[in-house]
Amino acid sequence: MKTIQVKNLSKTYWYYKKEAGLAGSIRALLKGKKEYVQAVRNVSFDLDVGEVVGFVGPNGAGKTTTLKMLSGILHPTEGKVAVMDFTPVRRDKDFLKRVSFISGQRNRLFWDLAAEEYFEFCRVVYEIPEAVFKDAKKRLVELAEIGGILNVPQRKLSFGQRKRCELVAGLLHDPRVIFLDEPTNAMDLINARKIREFIKKLGEGGKQTIILTSHNMSDIEQVCGRVIVINRGKIVFDGATRELQRMDGLKKQIKIVFNGPWSVDRIQKLGVIRQMNNSEIMIDVASDKVAAVASRLFTEYPVKDISIAEPKLEAVIEDIYARRIE
Amino acid sequence: MPVIIRYARLLALFIKIGLLRQMAYRFNFFMMVIGKVVRIGLLILFFQAIFLKVDRIGGWNYKEVLLLFATFHLVDYIMSITFQRNLAFHLPQRIRMGELDARMILPVNLLFMVSFEDIDMMDFFSFLPSLCFLGYVFYLLDFSFTLTQFFSYLLLLMNAVIFLFGVVLIIATVSFWTTQSYGLSRIFDNLLRICRYPLDIFEGFWKAVFIYLLPLVLVAQLPSQALLNIITPGALFFAFPVTGLFLGGALIFWKFGLKNYMSAST
Repeated sequence: MKTIQVKNLSKTYWYYKKEAGLAGSIRALLKGKKEYVQAVRNVSFDLDVGEVVGFVGPNGAGKTTTLKMLSGILHPTEGKVAVMDFTPVRRDKDFLKRVSFISGQRNRLFWDLAAEEYFEFCRVVYEIPEAVFKDAKKRLVELAEIGGILNVPQRKLSFGQRKRCELVAGLLHDPRVIFLDEPTNAMDLINARKIREFIKKLGEGGKQTIILTSHNMSDIEQVCGRVIVINRGKIVFDGATRELQRMDGLKKQIKIVFNGPWSVDRIQKLGVIRQMNNSEIMIDVASDKVAAVASRLFTEYPVKDISIAEPKLEAVIEDIYARRIE
Repeated sequence: MPVIIRYARLLALFIKIGLLRQMAYRFNFFMMVIGKVVRIGLLILFFQAIFLKVDRIGGWNYKEVLLLFATFHLVDYIMSITFQRNLAFHLPQRIRMGELDARMILPVNLLFMVSFEDIDMMDFFSFLPSLCFLGYVFYLLDFSFTLTQFFSYLLLLMNAVIFLFGVVLIIATVSFWTTQSYGLSRIFDNLLRICRYPLDIFEGFWKAVFIYLLPLVLVAQLPSQALLNIITPGALFFAFPVTGLFLGGALIFWKFGLKNYMSAST
């Protein structure tokens, strides 16, 4: 069953162009020139119930804009979106009660008040029955490990603690579709791991459809079964996360340990050298040539050990951003 | 849950949160309340000084001017406790910073949310002396008004608040395109101060402006005239449709603005 259906979705923004400096500002004030930016171009995809999908792309690729159109915050310029058969932009009460949009970069809790106050606000806003609210709060607070900071004003908490409070606040109403916009952004390793584990456990329930944007590839590798890569407003990959690492045109890494003399010049002809020292070398080789290269290495060089590694997800995404793979 | 009860509960929650928020900075809270009470006191002294020299301003005597002044402050306080700061100050900032996003995903009427989410309890405590002042003006007038006049007064007060909500909403909605409407809000704030005085002091063009173009007579003058029983039937018939027009126009403009919301980049 499809939870999210997106067809030919596009979004164009406008802004007034302004040159740098005071003179530029005055010119813009008197005669501003409107510029248009196509943030999302003709994007189409579907998501099933219970899918946890990573939405990946460089800054300005159109990830957050797409998420905002899916959650009803932005009006699409063109195309159709259906989330649980609702048209998000109509912002029906029943739709809004079933979705959550959690941003790693924006604060939505009451700055001067404790998280507990905001949770109470959520209870009233989402009309959560008292008993259900108590259960959900208990479960989520334990999962997010925020039991000790519930009554501390938000302004006194660390960034990571605040974000974990926000996650709980965004999930108290048990949403069916969760939009997570860079949830581990600017977080230290421990907090990022806690958030990642939290999302992973949430996704394992299979009830919620989660769509997650992140620049942190660990989030995607560990949490998402599927990944959609967007670049310059267009989808350039949509498939299982492990498939992304096996795309055509990708290079695998061969690490060779020698137990005798070897020549860099000759090895260079087999692949691109990544790293090397006296007895070891690491080379990038096209996936379809790996077997032939490994065979040559064994027959022509004093090889002690050889290992072949799948490309790291981070390297794959980098390749896509650089438009080496399209 | 019936809609009206749900929104009443939300409003009660906003009031509680407003109070908690203000009490988080206790010293500032008490100083601000004292400051606002002093401001009203100084303005009363100002009127007393003027009426030592003249008997009437624009045909209004001292007691009538005090009623106008107290009425204006009542409306002004209701506005500043509830929607004014939310719409004129917070909304443009939320549009500019993309903070409207978090409000747009809540299953609550967005206009209600952005208009009332920050209830200014500081102004609420300054509002109580203002109410006492109005009671004192009623006493000066020897309570010489009928129940009908008093209810007309209350009705026109409500009308004034709704009219001002429409105007403030129109100004705030401009932010969807300009991302800032503070300049417009300041102009309107300054214009609004005129309502402390009888608008009869103006003649010709300006009188027409304040009656027909931006009908500030609705704010304090018409309610006061109703209580003093010097309002014309024409003015009564004029007051409600004009407010309806401003509110309707503001709501249409708000919906159009929302469609143009571009959020902010993260």
